[in-house]
Order: sequence, then C-alpha cells, then structure tokens
Amino acid sequence: MEAREQNLLRSVLENTWRFYVWVAFLIAVLLWGLYAYIQQLRDGLIVTGMRDQISWGLYITNFVFFIGISHAGTLISAILRVTDTEWRTPITRMAEAITVFALCIGGPMVMIDMGRPDRMLNLFRYGRIQSPIVWDVLGVSTYLTGCILYFYIPMIPDLAFLAEQPRLAPWRRRLYSTLAIGWTGTAQQKALLEKAISFMAIFIIPLAVSVHTVVSWIFAMTLRPGWNSSIFGPYFVIGAIYSGTAGVIFSMYVLRRVFHLHDYVEELHFRKLGLLLLAFSLMYLYFNINEYLTAGYKLEGSERMLMQRLFVGDYAVLFWVAQSVCVFIPAVLMIAVLGLKRYHHYTIPGVVLSSAMVIVGAWAKRYIIVVPTLRSPYLPSGQRLPWEWTHYHPTWVEWSITAAAVAGFALIYTLMVKLFPIVSIWETREQPEEVSVFELPDESAPSRWWKPGDVFPILAISALLLCGRSANAAGPAKPKTPKPTAITVEWKTVPAAQAHRESAADESTPLLPRARVFMYTGGLFTPETSPDHPAEGDLKPSSPVAVTATLRDSSGAPISFKPVEFSAKTRLGTLAFGSRPTLADGKAQLVIKDQRYGTYPVQVVFRGDDEYAPATFDVAVDFGVRPAPSLPKAGVLITPYATPYIAVPFLLFYGAMWVAFLYAFGYLILWKMRKFSQAAVAPEIKTAPAAQGA
Amino acid sequence: MPLTRRGFVQFLARGTGAAVAVGVAWKASVSKVFREVLPSRSLAPGNQKWVMVIDLAKCDGCRDCTKACTAMHFVPPMQEWIKVFEITDNEAAGPYFLPRPCMQCDNPPCVRGCPVGATYKRTDGVVIQDDDRCIGCRNCIAQCPYSARSFNWGEPPHTSEELARPYNVEYNYPHRKGTVEKCIFCPEHLRMGKLPACAATCKMGAIYFGDKLDDAVTNGKGETIQFTKIAKRGASFRLMEELGTEPSVYYLPPASRKYPAPDEKAQTETAQAAMPGMAH
Repeated sequence: MEAREQNLLRSVLENTWRFYVWVAFLIAVLLWGLYAYIQQLRDGLIVTGMRDQISWGLYITNFVFFIGISHAGTLISAILRVTDTEWRTPITRMAEAITVFALCIGGPMVMIDMGRPDRMLNLFRYGRIQSPIVWDVLGVSTYLTGCILYFYIPMIPDLAFLAEQPRLAPWRRRLYSTLAIGWTGTAQQKALLEKAISFMAIFIIPLAVSVHTVVSWIFAMTLRPGWNSSIFGPYFVIGAIYSGTAGVIFSMYVLRRVFHLHDYVEELHFRKLGLLLLAFSLMYLYFNINEYLTAGYKLEGSERMLMQRLFVGDYAVLFWVAQSVCVFIPAVLMIAVLGLKRYHHYTIPGVVLSSAMVIVGAWAKRYIIVVPTLRSPYLPSGQRLPWEWTHYHPTWVEWSITAAAVAGFALIYTLMVKLFPIVSIWETREQPEEVSVFELPDESAPSRWWKPGDVFPILAISALLLCGRSANAAGPAKPKTPKPTAITVEWKTVPAAQAHRESAADESTPLLPRARVFMYTGGLFTPETSPDHPAEGDLKPSSPVAVTATLRDSSGAPISFKPVEFSAKTRLGTLAFGSRPTLADGKAQLVIKDQRYGTYPVQVVFRGDDEYAPATFDVAVDFGVRPAPSLPKAGVLITPYATPYIAVPFLLFYGAMWVAFLYAFGYLILWKMRKFSQAAVAPEIKTAPAAQGA
Repeated sequence: MPLTRRGFVQFLARGTGAAVAVGVAWKASVSKVFREVLPSRSLAPGNQKWVMVIDLAKCDGCRDCTKACTAMHFVPPMQEWIKVFEITDNEAAGPYFLPRPCMQCDNPPCVRGCPVGATYKRTDGVVIQDDDRCIGCRNCIAQCPYSARSFNWGEPPHTSEELARPYNVEYNYPHRKGTVEKCIFCPEHLRMGKLPACAATCKMGAIYFGDKLDDAVTNGKGETIQFTKIAKRGASFRLMEELGTEPSVYYLPPASRKYPAPDEKAQTETAQAAMPGMAH
C-alpha cells in the first residue's frame, strides 16, 4: 500500500532533465504563438487566411475541437462515477484534468478569432440572450467553473495527504494545506465529500451535453447549406465524446509510459475504454452517414455544390482522409484488437493508435465542418474577387497560434501533473458511494399579446371646396388668350364595404394594434395570416379614396370632356395616377385604391388647350393613419431586449447549474466539511468565521 | 407512507397544481420582467418602411451603383455593399445581372445572431450596423445567406474626407479595423428626402426605392411608380424567399432582358420606356 502511494507520488516529487527540456520546448512554441498573435493584434485579421467569404477558419476549428476534447473528460468520469464503475478510479483524474485544460485553451480561441478583442466586455454590457454566441459564453463559462470544481473536489483528500509529505518544498506544502481546506478524513467529511462529488457528477452530465449542443448551434442556427441541420446537436455531442475518449486514452498511455503507472493503468483500462471508444466510433459513423447521405442523396439546390466539393471536389481528399482517419480505420482496428482473440495482445498499441488517429481525425473533421460550408454560399459571393479571397489557406499566424494552443494544453497538463497527483491516491484505496437524482423545474409557455386600445380611424371628410385659385391662372398670358379656368378638388374615402367585400364584423372589430416589440411566441402562436389580413400581416388595407376634380371657367360654368391629370407627391418622387376626362358636369373622378397611409399633397392639373388656360389645384388627401412605428412582426428573436421564451429556459438551465455548484462546493465542501474538521481534529483551532465560497 | 390510490392521485393533483401556479406566475410576471418598449436607437427618424425594387430586366451590369455606393461611403477596397452578381439559374435561361444590396430583412438572421446588438433593426426597416459596438465575432457574416456583409480584415485605407466626420451609424464611416460593415440604405440621404446613392445613380433606372407606406417607389430617373402595382404586375420576387428572411428588396424578373454594353447605354435609355417589366 505504502509503496503504491510512493510510486504515485513520484510524479509529483521528482523532476528529470527530460521534464525541463520538454517544458522549455513547450514554452518556446507558446512564445512563438504569442508573437504571431501580437502580429495579428497589430495588423488585424488580415494576417490570417480568412476573408469575407470564408470568415471562420482554424480558430473556430480549434475552438470546436478543444471543447470537444473537453467532453471526454468530465462526461466519462461522471458517467463512470454515476454508474459506479470500479475500474474508473485510476483514470478519472486524468479525464477531469483534460476537461479543465482543454476548456482553458478552447475558450480563448474564440477571443483570438474576434476582430475586436478589446471590446470583449460588450458581451456583458450588451449581451443578447437570443444570440448563440451568448449561449456559448454562458455555457462554456458555466462548464469551466463546474469542471474546475469537479476536478478539485475529488482531489481534496490527496491534497491533504500531500501537505503532510516532508519531501516537498514548504511553499508547496502550504499551498496544498490551503487547498485541502481542513480535510482530516473523518467519516462525516468523507460522507460529505462523496455527496458533493456525486452531486457534481449528476449535474455535470447534462451540462456537458448542453455545452457541445450549444457549440453546434453556432452553426446550426444559421441558414448555411451544410450547417442548417437539425442533427447537429447530437452529432456534435457524440463527436465530442468520441474525440474526448480518445484524448483520455492517449493521455493515459503517455502518462503510463512517462511515470511508469503500469500498476494503476492496466490493460484492462485500455480495453474498457477501447470498447467505449469503439461504441462511440460506430455511433459517430452512424451520425456521419445520416448527415451526409441525407444531403448527398438529394443534392438539393444549395447543398449540391457543397456535397460535390466534399465528395469529389476540392475538399474530397481531405474529406475522405478525415473520415478514414477519424472513423473507418479506428473502428476496424479496434474491432480487430478488441474483438478477435488472436490479436488481443495488441490491445494497448491498437487502442492507442486508434485514439491518436481519432484525435487528429476529429480536428480535421471540425475543419471539414467549418470551412467547406463557408466556401459554398448561396450566392457566388466570390465573383470578381481575387483567388486568395475566396480560397482559404491558413497562414503561418494561424498555424502558429494553433501550435501554441496545443503546446499550451500540453504545458498546462505537464505542470498540473507535476503539481497534483495524476492518479487519485485516496480513491484507488477504496470504493465510492452512491448518488441521488435531481430534476429541473418545468416551464409552461403561454402566449401573450399586448393590446392598447386603438380604433381603426374613420376618416372625416374634410371639405376643401372652392378654396383658392389655381397657381397657373396667375401666370403669364397666353398668346391666344384662352379663357381662364379653375379646378376645385374634393375627396372622400370610399366606405370600405363598398370597395372591399370585407365582413361587417371586421369593420366593427378594431384591428389589433401591434406591440412595439414582438415576443417571438406571441407572433408564433397568433395566426400570422387570417383571411382578412393577408401575409402582409402588419398592414390593414387602406380605404380607397375618391378624388373628384371640378373644372370650371371663370364664370363658374363647368368645362366638360377635358382631361385632367392626377398625381401625388410622395417623399421621394411624384406618383402619376394618369388622367381622367371631365364629364358633362365638369367633374372628373379618380378612385385611388393604393396601399397608402398618411396625408399626401395630390395635385390635379389641367394642361390647357387652345380654348382654356391651364390650371392646377393642390389638395392634401388623407389616405389613412400610418401604423405606429414598430419592428416588423415577421422578425423572430430580433428584439433588442431579452425574449422570455429564449431567455428563461437558458437562464433557468445554467442558473440551476450555478445553484448546484454553490450547493455542492459552497455549502457541502467549504461550509459543512470545515466544521467537521474542527470538531474532529483540533480543539485548539478557534471557530474562525467560515469562508463562504461561491 | 402506505401505497394508496388516493395518495397517488393526490400526488398527481399537487403536481398539476404546482404547474398551474407556475404558469399563472409566468403569465403575470413576464411582461413586467421583460421590457417591450423599443430603445431610442431602434426608432427611425420618420415613420417609413423603406423598400427597394430592382428591375432585373433593366440591369445591364454596369456597376455604377457599386461605384456610387463605394464613393459615397468610402467603402474599403474588396468590399462591395451593393454587389452585382452574374447569375445563371439554368443553362437555358442564360446569365443575368443581379445587384445585391443588403436585403434589410424583416426577419434578419444577422440581427438574431448578433451577441451584442451591434446590428439591429430600426422601425423604418433598415438593419443598422453599429461599429462602435461590434466585437468582430463575424457571426452575422455566417448568418447572412446573401453574403451581404463584409469585415475589415485589416486597417482600411482612409481619406481625409472620410476621417473628417465623426462616426455615425447613418453613414457608417470612418471605417474601423475588426468590425463588420454592410449596406444600410443610406439613411443620411433618406433624411434629406434623397434616394440612396445606388438608386440615384442607376442610369438604367433599374433600382426603385421608396416608402412602402407611400405605396410608391422612385428610381434615379425620377420615375415614380406604385409599389403594390409593380410588385404584383411585375411578378416580383424576393431573393431566397424560402429562407423566411422577409427581405425588403423586391426583384422584377429578368424577362425579355437585353444587356447593352456601357457604350450602348445612351441608346438604350431612349428605348427603355418601351421595355417591359415596368408597369407604367
């Protein structure tokens, strides 16, 4: 027993020259990446290969990849814990560590991709919960917090154990004893710790699923061919767990070799995790077939180009290599070494090689998801742009930052291994406890509709008879001295029933006025189109307006059978309605049935002829009340404020996670566990004000 | 607790009661918690609903609109806020020109996806882009099916004229590195009662612009036509209607099209009154 623990502690206690060389190499790569990033900050993203058409590239690929890798960890260890699998104990910490560090690398990749990282805080000042980007910020930050806690809480007993190791430097022992927050290993403390761990394990599973789903929604919430897919959520989650499991296996192998952990990480673990990996590879294969066959079978308009590019076009080599390396070859290899008895002795190399291929293939697969779709937009947006603006080729800056990301991951992992024992010491001694199940509250979603009273106005007939002489009448005299004329115009709205065969009920029912902001489901659950209100939705047909012009000569006698022209002045131009002849009574009538709202100057012009002088008359005609300014009803989730039907579910879900963290860590670990430690071990330690964690 | 039918029914009843209580509380509180009056920046200066009608039968692909737009907004190189595509729907129909401004969608995917509200819909229908707020995440570029958005990948070249005015969302310059830009229907011109630069410049009169509530659209040649009539009689369509973006830009189909070279344009202008596709 003691020898086992000493062996585990060797990784923490001893440093070899190889360690320093390795760390120096990683730091060098990291610094090189930093140099590249400084270049990018100075000159902008022009130093990358991304351009308007392919506006996301390696950085987003890395983001999705690292978030995917991170799933391994916690999800696997949580599932193994919840299902009380005993062989898990030596590997859970490795898995949890991968999660935390992959998130630490993956999250910043988005910031590196941002054009204005200096405006990061706008996400918090102006964040809109309707945006998938904000979902990601919410999800990833919650997940990172949860994973750090889930990594830390099971480590507390080991930290207390390390704090007592005399071979360690004093600063390290102080650090460990601080982090051990008074762990003394009493029975109550153990019970509390188990409770907190199982609590976290329960909550981390839906959280992990949600995070990669939300990552996939960045793509699936767009209208792009290839991304506009409803299976992206589970597709990404399975892909993430798949790559993450591979990550765990690979790190298991490396750590086993470096630290000679053969006693803890046995062939059994490779075998069990290999079976898990095989299962995931088959599931991922299924998802891939489902995704690409449904698109490739139909070759529907916009997806045709994308599918051709992927299957036989410029991305075909990458696509088939990625699929082979990511799915086909590992699956076959693992079936051989795990399934066929005569190859059982190749289990470890076979599974490890598979997992290495899966990791590389998963990265390429992310690239295949991100880039070719952007390369295939609906419109040929690359027309008349130089070749390098429409073809994505990552530059040295992007490769350097990608390399630095990998190096950064390896560096944190390396240092972590040196600082904390990578195999749980206390857990490899004993068995874990059981867990309880919690449920999230359920929400019902009624629709609502804001109704201020507003009656469709009945337009008053404002008589403007006989007012004013025409402007042209005062003009210069014509050579033939035609008789002066005058036009008078009157107008009235034609009763709606006369022109439209609208029901009486509709006439009496005031039109529902629009709320200023439409709350998505308000519009969703209200019929968009009714027989009376066609797809236009927002606008009620305006009442027709009859404009009657009377043409008279100076004596007041009507002038018959002369054309008069009607036109309306709009904001940007003059709309001609054409001309109408005056009838025997000198009246010409024009019924305007346009969809016009507001008051417009209508001009009636008599051009004049040999007999009569020209005349003009302007009149302001009210075509109906303009609808109040508002955002279009057709707009879904475009309001400037949070929309309840999106905000509440997200905030409830992630809020429940934070409450769970607060309970498991703040209450169980920080508050309660400390108390038991005081009671049990040291009467001389005064009851200090207990630290309240968050 | 003994297992009784009565107890189980009570258990179910309590659950239903709790669900109803939550629903009632939701109904009562939701309008108080979530604001619904628009902020001032979403309110347009006037009560209009701007629409554009582009007659594809008249567009000869001269790209004067692009040039005028670029000159007016000092659009950085490699960006075209109104871009003229050469589209071939099928081999038999042959190519036609398709000017693509921002569609100013009524259901804009870019606005939906913007994490900080840097792009937002205004009550006059314009989708505004606020580069004081943009964080450069380019989600809107991914969201836009019309590829109508561009990004300032590097520091855009500046002119003194451009830098002379402070930034304003209504003209969207001086341009800044790391932010997204697009066509905004020239709100500055609209304020003054002028047509947007592209519509005002189009020598073919292919771009009509106006207020939907006026039911009238005007082109650069001063021709004003009734919007509902041209939209209906001209069998107008909107680009990618099936995506549900509800664009504010309508196209008249490129029926009986002719594409005179720019030097032939003068002759075409005289003949164009007789061209179909434009009712009245």
